[in-house]
Amino acid sequence: MSSDSFHKKILPLKDKLFRLAYGIVREQAEAEDVLQDVLVKLWSRRTEWDEIENLEAYCFRSVKNMALDRIAAKALRKTDAIDPENEVFYFVEHRSPHHDMVQKEQREMIEKCIDELSENQRLVFQLREMEGMSYREIAESLAISEDLVKVSLFRARKKMQDLLSGFRDSGAW
Amino acid sequence: MNSEYIHTLLNKYWRCETSPREEQELRDFFSGTEVPGELVRYVPLFAYLNEERSITPGSDFDDRLKTAIKKSEQEQQYITIRIFAPALRIAASLLLVLGLGISVYFISKQYNKPYFAETYHDPNAAIKDATYALIKVSNALQSSEEASMQTIQLIDELEIDWSSLDSLSSTLPEVPGKGADAEEMALDKDSNDTGEEIKEAFRQEEGDL
Repeated sequence: MSSDSFHKKILPLKDKLFRLAYGIVREQAEAEDVLQDVLVKLWSRRTEWDEIENLEAYCFRSVKNMALDRIAAKALRKTDAIDPENEVFYFVEHRSPHHDMVQKEQREMIEKCIDELSENQRLVFQLREMEGMSYREIAESLAISEDLVKVSLFRARKKMQDLLSGFRDSGAW
Repeated sequence: MNSEYIHTLLNKYWRCETSPREEQELRDFFSGTEVPGELVRYVPLFAYLNEERSITPGSDFDDRLKTAIKKSEQEQQYITIRIFAPALRIAASLLLVLGLGISVYFISKQYNKPYFAETYHDPNAAIKDATYALIKVSNALQSSEEASMQTIQLIDELEIDWSSLDSLSSTLPEVPGKGADAEEMALDKDSNDTGEEIKEAFRQEEGDL
């Protein structure tokens, strides 16, 4: 019975949980470790699942907490180097070395901006933009109020807007 | 996609009034090639979001997860032994500490005797010595008391007129009052006389110089 729930309820969340972990630890291997630890722990406590009100939100909270602990424990700061596995380039038609470099810079700039968000702003931004979760789902997953979710998202997007509006339109962009 | 529509949508986005579906529309639009000039600046943001959305755990993740779960199940079985192991370790360290403590105690017993010279084992001798010490102290106090008395006597013999030295009495202003007036007037008179004496003494001294 629990094995069934595991496959039906929790494993489908795997990718979303992974992206949340990744958003915090910023490394593929670390994020996979976090996800694995959380899932194994969950599995070993399957007898307690019935007692948890919202299992999915609980999963998100566990991942968030474990990922944050990882960072604290290892004093892992987001490195300046981008995880090479994720350098995807858009604008395929107009590629040139100069263009690639510009895109890389743009990506770094945005990552830096996200890194400078407060913890709540960053997590809310991620859960909304990456996973498309509703404000209520986000509130439950992070154990914060819905109002705080809205405020955090507003501020995060505002910072993005300011960052991007600060540049005059030049040919490189 | 209508440019005006996109502008409206984008403004809604900054105000956090968009639905998830509308946000997807924005992402699709900005990843395309028809982005008007003034909106090009926002392309990196939506492109970044698109990329991040497609991050997934590695392809071998599921297998590794299964292995990890099996391993954790096995570990559960060994828990009984594991519970006792820490207890054994604690017992061993306790014994060690005890042993060390006892040896230290015995060793210190041997070496500490010379340092206990100041305590007495014979109560009579203790009383005698204590009494001796106390007598010495009281003698010392007495002689200092006598010395103080002698000093006081010497000072008395000088017969200093204290009232003239008392600065307060010579500067009392004439205050119209009731009973105290007579007394004050008397004091005033007195000090005036001795004031003259002192002035005389000072003049003499200055003369000597």
